[in-house]
Amino acid sequence: MLQIELIILYCLKQLNNERTIYSIFHLLNGKKSSQTLQDAHLFSLKRFFGIYEPLTRESFDKITESMVEKNWIVTCGDQRYQLTPSGKTLLENNKLPNYINGWDYQFTSLVWERLSLLVQVASNFVFEEAKYIPIQKDKDVHLWLKSFLRDFNGQRKEMGNIVYSELIECFKEAIGINPSLLVFRLTGYQQIGLTPFQTAKKVNMDIHDYQIGFLNILHYLIQKIKQNPSQFRILVFLIRDVNVADDLTLSSRRTREFLNEGYPLEMIAKLRHLKLSTIEDHLVEFALNINGFSIDAYVDKELQVKILGISRQLATRQLKLIRENLKTATYFQIRLVLAKSGDKKWN
Amino acid sequence: MELESELKKYFGYDSFKTGQKDVITSILAGRHTLAMLPTGTGKSLCYQLPGLLLKGQILIISPLLSLMQDQVEQFKKFGEKRVIALNSFLTVAERKKVLCNLSKYKFIFISPEMLSVHFILTNLQELNISLFVVDEAHCISQWGYDFRPDYSKLGGIRKQLGNPLTLALTATATRKVRDDIIRSLDLDKIVKIDSTIDRPNIGFYVEKLPDYRNKQYRVIELVTRLEQPGIIYFSSKKSAEQMASLLMDKQICRAMAYHGGMDQNSRILIQQQFIHGQLDVICATSAFGMGINKENIRFIIHYHMPMQIESYLQEIGRAGRDGLPSIAILLYSPGDEQLPIQLAESELPSEQQIDWLFKKANQQHTLPDGRMNLNKELMTLGGFTDIQWRIVEEFVGNPALVTRNPERLQEIINDFIKERLLFKKTNIFRMKKWVESTLCRRAFIFDYFDEKMLEQTPSCCDICGLQLDDYQTTSKVSTVKNTAEENWQEYLAKILINCELRE
Repeated sequence: MLQIELIILYCLKQLNNERTIYSIFHLLNGKKSSQTLQDAHLFSLKRFFGIYEPLTRESFDKITESMVEKNWIVTCGDQRYQLTPSGKTLLENNKLPNYINGWDYQFTSLVWERLSLLVQVASNFVFEEAKYIPIQKDKDVHLWLKSFLRDFNGQRKEMGNIVYSELIECFKEAIGINPSLLVFRLTGYQQIGLTPFQTAKKVNMDIHDYQIGFLNILHYLIQKIKQNPSQFRILVFLIRDVNVADDLTLSSRRTREFLNEGYPLEMIAKLRHLKLSTIEDHLVEFALNINGFSIDAYVDKELQVKILGISRQLATRQLKLIRENLKTATYFQIRLVLAKSGDKKWN
Repeated sequence: MELESELKKYFGYDSFKTGQKDVITSILAGRHTLAMLPTGTGKSLCYQLPGLLLKGQILIISPLLSLMQDQVEQFKKFGEKRVIALNSFLTVAERKKVLCNLSKYKFIFISPEMLSVHFILTNLQELNISLFVVDEAHCISQWGYDFRPDYSKLGGIRKQLGNPLTLALTATATRKVRDDIIRSLDLDKIVKIDSTIDRPNIGFYVEKLPDYRNKQYRVIELVTRLEQPGIIYFSSKKSAEQMASLLMDKQICRAMAYHGGMDQNSRILIQQQFIHGQLDVICATSAFGMGINKENIRFIIHYHMPMQIESYLQEIGRAGRDGLPSIAILLYSPGDEQLPIQLAESELPSEQQIDWLFKKANQQHTLPDGRMNLNKELMTLGGFTDIQWRIVEEFVGNPALVTRNPERLQEIINDFIKERLLFKKTNIFRMKKWVESTLCRRAFIFDYFDEKMLEQTPSCCDICGLQLDDYQTTSKVSTVKNTAEENWQEYLAKILINCELRE
């Protein structure tokens, strides 16, 4: 079976029929909408956030359709699916990619672009070639390289050797990882790296498995560097100043400014020409992402305890069910409380 | 001044290619110049070298963003850092920064759209522009196959910049188009340098086949037999991909598809792999080839018929830049002209679309001054493509036309569409005539460009008795299997450790 199928099985299990299957698509794509960000937190799926950005909707549909055909999942109406017994068995007997950490490593594509340019430049230094066309076009990546060369206090000709031994050292202890997936994509002196499609073909992998595997390696690499920064004299530069993931959407950031100035929600909606429900979405985002954001002004303590109690009791995060059992709370209040409780296990 | 020594000094070449020296001499003598140089003979050198010798800035107008990026990179590769491309790739902040420091740059590439932005033009007016270069100058003429309305304003812009010395460059332009270029740029005294469009080392070969299935078999046969590397051109992304998979799966050669639907990173890699000899054959749409500097391409196969002779010459002109014998093969099946006709039609808005637009606009999208309010919503609702919508905008936004009444405007647009379509169909028809020709194919092309064929080319065309066997590969070893599989450690060592240096 494909890794992507296993991941979808896992996500469906976590979602527990409470979201459509497309919420998984948005999650894998890393869509920066309130809904997707909330789902990632609520259902403990943060590690899969944005791990497959090139996935198209057509491919996603194809994958899920084939999962239905193989009788791993079954629809329960309204674009919702649940695991069949054989789907459950598969999930229990197979291992998810070990190093994937989507939420914390949202800067991964930047690390790849840096690594790819670093290797190309090091390689051309080694072979004393000054005329070549950089394989990475992004100007920020070029600026990063310049600042690296400024700060690197070693011989430029030695760069190749160091990068080589650091990469070998890094991959030495890797379990369940095939470095080929990454290495053959690197470009060097007079040697152009392969595309994802070509690499997948070379190592005989399905393209979806390849994409997940490639990311898994990068996440392994990042984790390894973070754990032993002193061991990787050059590679440590790859993760220098990677933007700390900004968890808030642009629009919600503006709402927060108004909120900090003491405007009530209705007023903010009016001033910003937005629906009240949108502003409420933003507040739920704050509850999820901002440590120490207090929801007490919107839900009193007593009600918070009640909502959590019912959620635990019914073992659900479905708003409708909670609401039916607690008519005094609004949907907005329930969402806020659930968001605030976040990843904390409820049982 | 010895131009050759300057050439050696700056670029490391020993001698000029056909026409280059004439153009450069004319420019350095301060004469406006229109140069028609064959594809693949180094047109850019004609402004690169004078640029280094002249004081002041060189402004180069270039129609294609990707081409501009390529040229900037080529400059940087030669160590020239004072070069910038002013186009929509720049962020607002970057653009601001560049505009404040324009005088620091020697070579400024700019797209025609950017030139029509008022404050950019104001910034350019403060420079000392010593050479105004119009690259792909055939875009100026509406008789050019690639007419761009923005280009037709270049004459006026040139005046506003104080009539600088001008160089207009093109690879393929008929006499009519060349006259149009001169008139549009309003240059009274101009030196015309027409190097021949002919590339004598490229032979022509047309083959008629009953249908596409036979074409596929034939391509496999040709690729197996011909000397590589080569490019196969298609009009559709899907057929390019199919053929690439076929060639790979059958292990005929190392092949990849290349088209505009692929992500930018993969496109860069595939282009570079081809240039570095890691691929033998590219199955491409016309998106491939601009700015590719590869000397040893041995064959160009056209699986589909191009839209006009000019594009055909551009595409086959990528073969044989090293001067060695190369072959251009076109495969034709009955009815093949339908595809280019459909493409031509899809590039223009239909009369129904225009009709719908004006009805809709009359009801609710009129500005207070009576002009039509074009917004993107109308574009989506009316099913206009980007190219179609640009044509609409060009007419509706044209200050010379806005005062007229809507009925008249609609008429003008419809007339334009009809005329353009007729023009394009005539081009396709002429291309087909070339395919069906029973007389020398080279002579046909000479005739189209009002040139005289002076002497017989030895390996001319199928009509003149060219033999495909002459282009057969001499090496019998297939490139596909004989590369030993290396593991990732070996690959990493190969690129990062230089064994020769260690010993």
